[in-house]
Amino acid sequence: MQLKRPASPLHLGLMAASCALLSGTARAQTTEDVGQPVQIDADLLYYKENGGRVQAIEPLVSLKKDFGDQRLLDGTFTLDSLSGATPNGAIPAHKVQTFASPSSTSLTPKPGYKTTLYTIAPGDLPQDPHFKEQRVAGDLDWSQPIGLDNTLSCGAHASTEHDFDSVAAHAGVSHDFNEKNTTLSVGVNEEYDRIHAHGGNPVPGSDYALYEKEPSQTKTVSGGLIGLTQVMRRNWLTELNYTLDHSQGYLTDPYRILSVLDPVGTVTGYRYENRPDTRTRQSLYWVNKVALGPTVLDVSYRRGKDSWDIGSDTVDARLRINLGSGMYVEPHARWYHQTAADFYNLYLGESGPAPAYMSADPRLAAFSATTFGVKFGITTGRNGELTLRLEQYQQKPSDQSSTLPELQGLDLNPDLKATIVQLSWHFEY
Amino acid sequence: MSSVPAAADGTLGAPHAPEFEVVPREGGIAAVRFVAMASPCELLLDTTDVGAAHEAGRLAAQEAWRIEAKFSRYRPESIVSVINRSHGNAVVVDAETAALLDYAGQCHALSEGRFDITSGVLRRCWRFDQSDRLPDAAAVAALLPLIGFEKLRWKAPRITLPTGMEIDFGGIGKEYAVDRVLGLVTARFAAAALVNFGGDLAANRAPGAGPWQVGVERPDTEREARLLLALTRGGLATSGDTHRFLLRDGVRYGHILDVRTGWPVPQAPRSVTVAAGSSVEAGMLATFAMLRGSDAESFLEEHGVRYWCLR
Repeated sequence: MQLKRPASPLHLGLMAASCALLSGTARAQTTEDVGQPVQIDADLLYYKENGGRVQAIEPLVSLKKDFGDQRLLDGTFTLDSLSGATPNGAIPAHKVQTFASPSSTSLTPKPGYKTTLYTIAPGDLPQDPHFKEQRVAGDLDWSQPIGLDNTLSCGAHASTEHDFDSVAAHAGVSHDFNEKNTTLSVGVNEEYDRIHAHGGNPVPGSDYALYEKEPSQTKTVSGGLIGLTQVMRRNWLTELNYTLDHSQGYLTDPYRILSVLDPVGTVTGYRYENRPDTRTRQSLYWVNKVALGPTVLDVSYRRGKDSWDIGSDTVDARLRINLGSGMYVEPHARWYHQTAADFYNLYLGESGPAPAYMSADPRLAAFSATTFGVKFGITTGRNGELTLRLEQYQQKPSDQSSTLPELQGLDLNPDLKATIVQLSWHFEY
Repeated sequence: MSSVPAAADGTLGAPHAPEFEVVPREGGIAAVRFVAMASPCELLLDTTDVGAAHEAGRLAAQEAWRIEAKFSRYRPESIVSVINRSHGNAVVVDAETAALLDYAGQCHALSEGRFDITSGVLRRCWRFDQSDRLPDAAAVAALLPLIGFEKLRWKAPRITLPTGMEIDFGGIGKEYAVDRVLGLVTARFAAAALVNFGGDLAANRAPGAGPWQVGVERPDTEREARLLLALTRGGLATSGDTHRFLLRDGVRYGHILDVRTGWPVPQAPRSVTVAAGSSVEAGMLATFAMLRGSDAESFLEEHGVRYWCLR
């Protein structure tokens, strides 16, 4: 069966490929020519709350450069633009309420001072309609292996807004063992923030009518993390993380006030909120990723607890279903519940001295929230991916009414609904 | 001179004792023997210098073990295992792995998708133990979404393998090791050499006494089919294993699987032996031919290949 026929294009192609494989020089050239790829992520997020409340547009660009040997530099640039109305903390009333926007330097018009007032119709939730904020943020992260089984990562973050500047740094080490089936990670982070509210920072806990302001304030956050990642089976990965952080300094929201009510529920005034100047937070996070054939299930649970008495539970599940032809769909469901901060109150009573700490910030209230969404992904070319995420968020506070006669028929802490649309593009070249 | 069974090609095996032996043979040939990739490995040198044979033997065995440790899917520390455990994250690979992945990609393209290094997941369903236990059709179909070289992202030096998928260099690894060892030995030693890893072999030139006489054993239940070939230089590889099949209702299901269906290629030859410029080239041509099933012979003839086919 010896043949004299000349080699075909297929055979010639295979000869060339085999020669290239066996030729060390060709190989060395290949890697030199190709270099290391750069990954680009471009992202546009749109967030809109119901009832004319906050809407946000957030473009983000991330560049990841690989320097070989798993040394990775990751830079992210984010631009946020928020606008709309944001609740100021006061509750609805049966009469018209008038407030000053935070940029005002006086509650009443007088020479040399700036006053921007807004009025709230009876029954409506008091919201500052002039809320507008822009944020510019940059992140730079570096990671590299140390020896065969360790990875070092470190990074820095800086962001600036009209009323808030933040710088932060973090460093961590992870160690692989058990034939790289187990990874132990530890990390620390430190953050320094400066708060300089529009029109000055109000004196925490002071009477709104006095409109007392003070210079800029600072806070620091120090934290640590310890995590364990374990490959349970070839298609099952589990990860357990414990994080602890401690904040110190000005933790009060300079724009939040509380309504002060008389015994029947009539508004008699307002007070700026005041939060403790320390907060310690702990959280335990457990996530499982399971591949069921081409479908990947991602389920996580987080338990959080802090020194303000807020306890929270989060259950999150995602199911990534591959549709073939480089397309996938990923339904997402999330349930969240938290208890209220021990100094949270819908409003303050008039009688007796004001409490040491107080806030009516709905984010510190007891509430439950659900998120339902879906993400579609499609690969574009050999190295690109386009994804579209659509989500609906609904937050329901536990405490929405009062027995006080003047507050009957008022929704004191309305539900919050938000829609999230995110378009992402990932590309490598 | 060499007579070893044509084992399942490219099966990269379990760990073994890292030792080799040098046995002088008649005709002034030194034979080095060791075990790598679950196969008996042999290096024949046209020399009476036992010291040189020892040195060449150490070089050959260490290279074979290096390749096995680096690319065996059974070794948890191998790059293949790292990629298979990457859970959809990109893995940056070295130049040698990149060259093998490029080669696998080129073979995938040249074979119009028939040869595919992601097809190993089908082993979860198929056990060719000569029984009549065919897998459940639904179970086979369920694995198909995890197969396809086009689904992984590969651009040197970065590979991203979707979660659930696996790669292996079966069908490339052992042949590559044969060619690498021959290249190293040729560069260092003057003697004519023949490398034989479990029936996949390559030679640099003929010894003084004439061409290498190679016996390729092709065990068969019905007849003993032994090929005796003269090899001067180049590679020789055999695809197929007459012991690995299932038999049900008179239909023989060979172990060469069609990645498009997940089922054995119908009417594939029991074994195909190909002679070519190198062991990798010979091995891939033999594999391509097996994947053509009943057209194996016409495929080989069409492409001008020297071959020996057993049906």
